[in-house]
Amino acid sequence: MEVKHKIWNSVGGRSFVILLLSGVLLIGSFFQAAASPGFQSSDEGKDIFEKNCVSCHSIGEGSLVGPDLEGVLDRRDRDWVRDFITIPDQIIVSGDPIALELLTEFNNIPMPNLGLTEAEVEALLVFLEGGESVAPVADAPLPEGNLDRGSAFFTGEDVLENGGTPCIACHTVGSVGPFGGGNLGPDLTRVYGRFGEAGLTGVIKDIAFPTMQGIYVDKALTDQEIADLLTFFATVDAEGEEGVADSATTTFWIIGLLGSGILFGIMAFYWPRQRETLSDRLRRDAGITSRRHS
Amino acid sequence: MDVRTHMSMIFHLDKCIGCHTCSVACKNLWTDRKGAEYMWWNNVETRPGTGFPTQWENQEHFRGGWERKKGKLDLKLHTRLEGIFKLFYNPSLPGLRDYYEPFTFDYQNLFNSPKKDVQPIAEPISMITGDPIDIETGPNWDDDLGGSNIYAKNDVNLEDLPQEVREQMNELERLVFNYLPRICNHCLNPACVAACPSGAIYKRDEDGVVLVNENDCRAWRMCVAACPYKKVYYNWNTGKSEKCILCFPRMETGQAPACAHSCVGRIRYMGVLLYDADQIPTAANVPDDELIAAHREMILDPFDPKVIAAAKENGIGDDWIESAQNSPAYKFVKEWEIALPLHPEFRTMVMMYYIPPLSPVVSVTEKSLFRLDLMQEDYDFELFDRLDAARLPIKYLANLFSAGDEGTIRTVLRKLLAVRIYMRRKTVHGKVDSVSRKTLAEAGLTEEQAIDMYKMTTLPTMEERFVFPNYHREMSIKAILDPLTHKGEVGLGYIQQPKRGE
Ligand code: SF4
Ligand code: SF4
Repeated sequence: MEVKHKIWNSVGGRSFVILLLSGVLLIGSFFQAAASPGFQSSDEGKDIFEKNCVSCHSIGEGSLVGPDLEGVLDRRDRDWVRDFITIPDQIIVSGDPIALELLTEFNNIPMPNLGLTEAEVEALLVFLEGGESVAPVADAPLPEGNLDRGSAFFTGEDVLENGGTPCIACHTVGSVGPFGGGNLGPDLTRVYGRFGEAGLTGVIKDIAFPTMQGIYVDKALTDQEIADLLTFFATVDAEGEEGVADSATTTFWIIGLLGSGILFGIMAFYWPRQRETLSDRLRRDAGITSRRHS
Repeated sequence: MDVRTHMSMIFHLDKCIGCHTCSVACKNLWTDRKGAEYMWWNNVETRPGTGFPTQWENQEHFRGGWERKKGKLDLKLHTRLEGIFKLFYNPSLPGLRDYYEPFTFDYQNLFNSPKKDVQPIAEPISMITGDPIDIETGPNWDDDLGGSNIYAKNDVNLEDLPQEVREQMNELERLVFNYLPRICNHCLNPACVAACPSGAIYKRDEDGVVLVNENDCRAWRMCVAACPYKKVYYNWNTGKSEKCILCFPRMETGQAPACAHSCVGRIRYMGVLLYDADQIPTAANVPDDELIAAHREMILDPFDPKVIAAAKENGIGDDWIESAQNSPAYKFVKEWEIALPLHPEFRTMVMMYYIPPLSPVVSVTEKSLFRLDLMQEDYDFELFDRLDAARLPIKYLANLFSAGDEGTIRTVLRKLLAVRIYMRRKTVHGKVDSVSRKTLAEAGLTEEQAIDMYKMTTLPTMEERFVFPNYHREMSIKAILDPLTHKGEVGLGYIQQPKRGE
């Protein structure tokens, strides 16, 4: 039986369907356009700034870990700023003179790659152009820190309240543990000196490093924990030596090689002395030796 | 009384012709795979000989089975603590060289060889490495007393025989051998199950088949070392242990296992035995000379109303009880008491039984020569009274089948002989005389029993040799799955999807 679609068979019906389709497409493209960068608002930029930048930068309130960003777009080329926000790591590596100068000026703390999208960077620029000033995060002063607790949080001996990963998983400091800590993140021995108390607090609170962001999302440290860690870092900065973990790695290798050498030595001794199979013994007693196993 | 059912096999050794058909049937069906080439779930050994793997009965070396220590049964392999230390290095484990390196021949060379002055040959190549090898041994290397001076001479069961008897066995006129087909004994007190650290081996409820769950096996291979019969094998390719499964898929569909079904000598019988599970711990833990009696005691009489009631209470169906009543295994083990477990002293309580071999039985000295014509019944009588004249020393058989107790073997052999004498009178002479009746009575048999034994030994039909109850698999499947869901699928669905071109 032939199925007939009634609507499609009349001229009027046909134009109705085409019109309806065009309408749907038109509305769809409008929403598409609404979502494109051209419509970025400076409000959005403010949000991004407060989430990602404010731990290191202020606008019009002086330098923190990084420079004051007031009038940054007057000082620098807009394209340069855009690129530097998007891929700071690559620009520093490429040896860009401005970037290098900034690096020396700010205690060799590089601007991290925040992993922002093109649209987000654009929104941020729009906000910076607005010239609105943003004060550094002025929080209630941190409670008194405790060195022992700080050290315990670092090594994971004490569990962080919100279940965050202990620092040692990725970082090392001074002479922690016989073999140092992890080496995914940088050595934190001098971190206190480099970031300063305010900077470090900000960085731990509103984490700016994308690698760390993922790990501590929903697992923020409490103020007390931050205070304890700061005390710990301050002490380490004063007393500890950088690069201890590197020499520990060498020790680790030596112990490992020696250990396996000893194990192989023992094996070499016992291997030829393994128990002979009964089958082989019977044949050997009877004076039969094979070509392969003689 | 905790009545359970077991499928048991009887091997009538007098009838085995050593053709290895059983081994080949089993190999073709189950172990013709990569990693399983060296396995012989069913193997046939020539006795005296060292068997497969070489000298498997030497438990000082392989440490299989159970040991009685201070009245308690313990694995001979190790205590629990020792077991932990031996997890990664277990010296009692047989290695490939204890079995043999499986080989094939490079037949392609016979077709593809370039032109040469000499005939091409098919060189032996290892089935494991694929390299040419020098064949040193095989699963039945000492077949028919081949290489006796190396193998037969070192049979563990000859050890406590007097030196002169051992020497006599090497004399040409006194040479004697018989065959011993072996499969997993599906023991009631299995050492393999006890030794597995992963709990991967289990004994199934309905028929007592001992199986390895390959999903749980973690390649510890403790079962391989602990089984005194060396009937668990390790598949080096899959990293799992494997063993005889008593062809349960065949039994479930009413067919005899491949080895039994294909047996040329028709030496094998199968049927249900009822046993009392409560008695296992005590029966496995009696002094050596009481083992056979305790074992027989544990097998229950399927005609006894008390047993039947207890069986029903345990949920055993009428058809299984009826099958147990018709079981040839019950007749051989309990009624006539002529079937014995292999090496009961290993205390795994095996459920496969052997009727010890009788022939060739006698040799007489005449003018200091051995006479071999055995067919005159006088010699039968001579033997009946002087079993020690048998060419296969009684002690040797006792070491195999009754933990060294010669009395048990004598009783069995006398029964077999008495039936032979009686039936010879009856069929050759046409009438039974008082002497043969007397022999029968002395052996502890009635005339009826003798005729039954004779019939079951020589003339049984397939249905009399293999009595299988209905497994009702359709019921156990229905209970968990709806058969209609799987209609149109292969079996009950795929474990691994078959791929085209593989
Ligand atoms: S004979 Fe079979 S059931 Fe018995 S211990 Fe060996 S593998 Fe296990
Ligand atoms: S098939 Fe039967 S007769 Fe042949 S070797 Fe096996 S058990 Fe013996």
